[in-house]
Amino acid sequence: MEFFTVKKDVQSDLKIVLDDMILTKDMPTTAGSKMLDGYMSLFDAQVITKLTEANYAICGKSAVGEFAFDLMGETNYKGALCADGKILNASAEIVSAGDATAAICLDANGSVRRAAAQYGLVSIKPTYGTVSRYGIVPVACSGDTVSVMAKSSDICTDVLSVIAGHDEKDGTSHSDELCAKLASGAEIQPVKKIALLKSMLAGANAEVCAKIEKAKNTLSENGIEVCEIDDSVICASRVAWNILMSAELCNNVSKYDGVKYGYRAQKFSNIDELYTNSRTEAFGELLKTAILFGSETLSTDNYMKVYDKALRMRRVIVEAFTEIFSRFDAVLMPACSSMSYPENIESTKAFEENTYTAPASITGLPAVVSGSVQLVGKAFSDRSLLAVAKILEKEGK
Amino acid sequence: MDRETLRKLEMLNQLSLTEEQKESVISFFEKRDSELEILNAIDTSNVERMVHVLPIMTVVREDEVIKTFSREDLQKDAPETDEGYWCVPRVVE
Amino acid sequence: MRYETVIGLEVHVELATKSKIFCSCSAHSYGSEPNDHVCPACCGMPGMLPVVNKRVVDYGMKAGLMLNCHINRTTTFDKKSYYYPDLPAAYQTTQWFAPVAVNGLVEIETKEGKKNIRIKQIHMEEDAGKLVHDIREDTTHVDFNRTSVPLIEIVSQPDLSSAEEVEAYLERLKSLLRFAKVAECEMAHGTMRCDVNLSVRPEGSDKLGVRTEMKNMNSIEAIKRAIEYETARHIDAIENGTEVLVQETRRWDDIKGKSYAMRTKETAGDYRYFPDPNVMPVVIDDEWFDSIKESLPEFPEVKRERYAGEYGLGEYDAERLTQSIALCECFEGAYAVCKNAKDAANWMISDIMRILNNKQMTYDMLSLDGATLGKLILLVTDGKVSRANGKKILEAMFEDSSIDPESYAKENDFIISNDTGLVDKVVKEVIAADPKSVADFKGGKEKALMALFGKCMKELKGNCDPQTLRSILIDAVNKA
Repeated sequence: MEFFTVKKDVQSDLKIVLDDMILTKDMPTTAGSKMLDGYMSLFDAQVITKLTEANYAICGKSAVGEFAFDLMGETNYKGALCADGKILNASAEIVSAGDATAAICLDANGSVRRAAAQYGLVSIKPTYGTVSRYGIVPVACSGDTVSVMAKSSDICTDVLSVIAGHDEKDGTSHSDELCAKLASGAEIQPVKKIALLKSMLAGANAEVCAKIEKAKNTLSENGIEVCEIDDSVICASRVAWNILMSAELCNNVSKYDGVKYGYRAQKFSNIDELYTNSRTEAFGELLKTAILFGSETLSTDNYMKVYDKALRMRRVIVEAFTEIFSRFDAVLMPACSSMSYPENIESTKAFEENTYTAPASITGLPAVVSGSVQLVGKAFSDRSLLAVAKILEKEGK
Repeated sequence: MDRETLRKLEMLNQLSLTEEQKESVISFFEKRDSELEILNAIDTSNVERMVHVLPIMTVVREDEVIKTFSREDLQKDAPETDEGYWCVPRVVE
Repeated sequence: MRYETVIGLEVHVELATKSKIFCSCSAHSYGSEPNDHVCPACCGMPGMLPVVNKRVVDYGMKAGLMLNCHINRTTTFDKKSYYYPDLPAAYQTTQWFAPVAVNGLVEIETKEGKKNIRIKQIHMEEDAGKLVHDIREDTTHVDFNRTSVPLIEIVSQPDLSSAEEVEAYLERLKSLLRFAKVAECEMAHGTMRCDVNLSVRPEGSDKLGVRTEMKNMNSIEAIKRAIEYETARHIDAIENGTEVLVQETRRWDDIKGKSYAMRTKETAGDYRYFPDPNVMPVVIDDEWFDSIKESLPEFPEVKRERYAGEYGLGEYDAERLTQSIALCECFEGAYAVCKNAKDAANWMISDIMRILNNKQMTYDMLSLDGATLGKLILLVTDGKVSRANGKKILEAMFEDSSIDPESYAKENDFIISNDTGLVDKVVKEVIAADPKSVADFKGGKEKALMALFGKCMKELKGNCDPQTLRSILIDAVNKA
């Protein structure tokens, strides 16, 4: 399969590739699903408008896994991108090859951060509400964040300052005042003390632990203190996030039913068969599993003990971070358990591997990946995190 | 997760799984069920649920009509339309 | 044994906003082409986000206050999931956990007397689309014009016990919501729809019987017939064991006069509600709350009493005027200018309401400015324009709201001349031209005078006080 749809004759030094979760009116947006094969949006995402106004050129679309909640794109309906028995990520391939200056990707379940870590790139998942989600195929709306991936933190900073900002078409977009602070960098508080979340290292392999060790040393050499802490609540983020993400995903993909647009089954004799056959034929296995799981968490019997519990856990996790941030400026942790994934990996692995990415997803906190490690910061500390990312970026591949 | 509950879930979500898929979904559910214990170990009885991570703000728009797209645009890629309507097999009322 | 019927209603009312609840499409599609007021958001395409229409919250609050509810100052939206072709996103955004208004009270009056009906809650939600089944035999056609049009659902407690009470309750809701100008509430137009929950129990028992629900009833007469039929069916089942009552949804066939159990899916009712992450809680601060509270109208019966007391109108006139807030506003506006309540009421009832009836317009459709009407009334009471020409000016004002009565009267020669010389002259000419009528009158034919009077009035273009003309005319005829 192809890495991406290329727009011909794009002459620019500022080329941007969009992942296939971002709706474009001049190129198809499939969200990696057979359901939306060839789907043409009637409108462009707000990020495209902003990038174009700032003279960035959109050079194409990069493939994603089905609704972008998998590991790195392996569930794309056209098949997994692989080389040497390992899973590849389309956006990271394109940026690494220099075919685009930066990639704009939806971070729904950490795939962007895992890819940046494995490719030694820099990525920023900004504070939730910073970048408009207008024109983004929704996955888990309470955590979905438009992110930037590039070779350097400087590029991420530049691109983020272009796409950040209030959008009246997105009711969860921050006010102009808050966004202005973010864009001007006026609020940058230098990161001086970082907490290494040691409990997160248990499941990470030696190579990943070595990256963390190296990052720790680099930070110390640059005058940033790194202290080890343990926190079981933050490590439990994954379980709560899987519940919230699946339920929201289930709800968001319910609109794909073969009636208004997209894939419609050939054979059906009544409305339920039209729905069921279309969805059964067009959806992949991981998506089906997630839909059923998400739906079950919302059932009358489970709502209070599962979904409502996860919503309460979200507050517990936010408070755990708040407590850590009273002593530290950021939290250091891996973004993935290993530096590559074998091509035959179990598809449901994404529900475990997001141990590292769920803490920032469920809380909406900003997270940078640089030097193959992840830093989670206070809300609106995006610029400060990118400054640390600059120190770490030489440690990448 | 038993077969009967799974059958209802499939129906509720307009999906139809193969036998093999059913097996793997059931084992997925079992794993998730055991993970719930991690959450249950944390007392949240006095914690307020958190739907939005944003600070509280009210976002409303004025009551204004703005026409965006034509019916032709919206139905451009529709699987089946007739006389300006989307079409589905007859729904018995 | 004697039985009592226990009825609770869920009433859906379409709010009279310009645009839809979460997108900017027009909320008025009556008579439009199918799918003409639709955008990617309300036809279930990905990528657009809901932004709440402020006026929907305004109206939700107003409705709540009119029905004596407590307003939830933080109100939230939730998603309700199910598959049906009229629901493009396969979920409806509604209010499940924190509806805008709760715990209200509505007073109704029937021939049995007054009774309070408790309101459980009022929630705001989006309407579904429309399905058309009669274009092709094998196909259902789907129209999303109505999708996302704002609704409130008013849920009563099971406090109603007869068809008469249900009718009184629905009429009361209609009157209150129309007075607050939040909705049309016209069942025939589909802007008010009703689900009836009914059970029967032995009189005095505090245990509820098996409950059945009849959905989407759209006329008060049909609702009354359905309630009577269901009550009889339930009693028959209890007394004679004709059937086993089960909790179910039934469809009322008004032509056959029977209700039928509806085929329901096994999974029906499992709606998997959860809070909508895309819609922030709506926080109603004091300023917003107070502005809504201040904008509420007087209740119709308060106005009625005031019209009868303060303004000295007859009970019947007060009752007629308070049928519609538009009539009240026009009347009060006219009174403020002309300072004569009886005159203003007279113009309202014998002219304006008559014109509206002739034009087949509802009273709520009246858009005449009360102050302008007041000016017109003054022209007539001051003797500047005759009553007959005043009516003509009023007709013209219905066609063109920019008309100023006095300028219009001048332009059309409607101003009464105080020049008795002119009247004398006209009378003389008319008498001279019609000696037969003069002779007839003198011979005792009273009617002959009317003929002469009419001719004079015509010559004077109506611009003469009838009493003045009459006395000058009689005088002249007698002298002739």
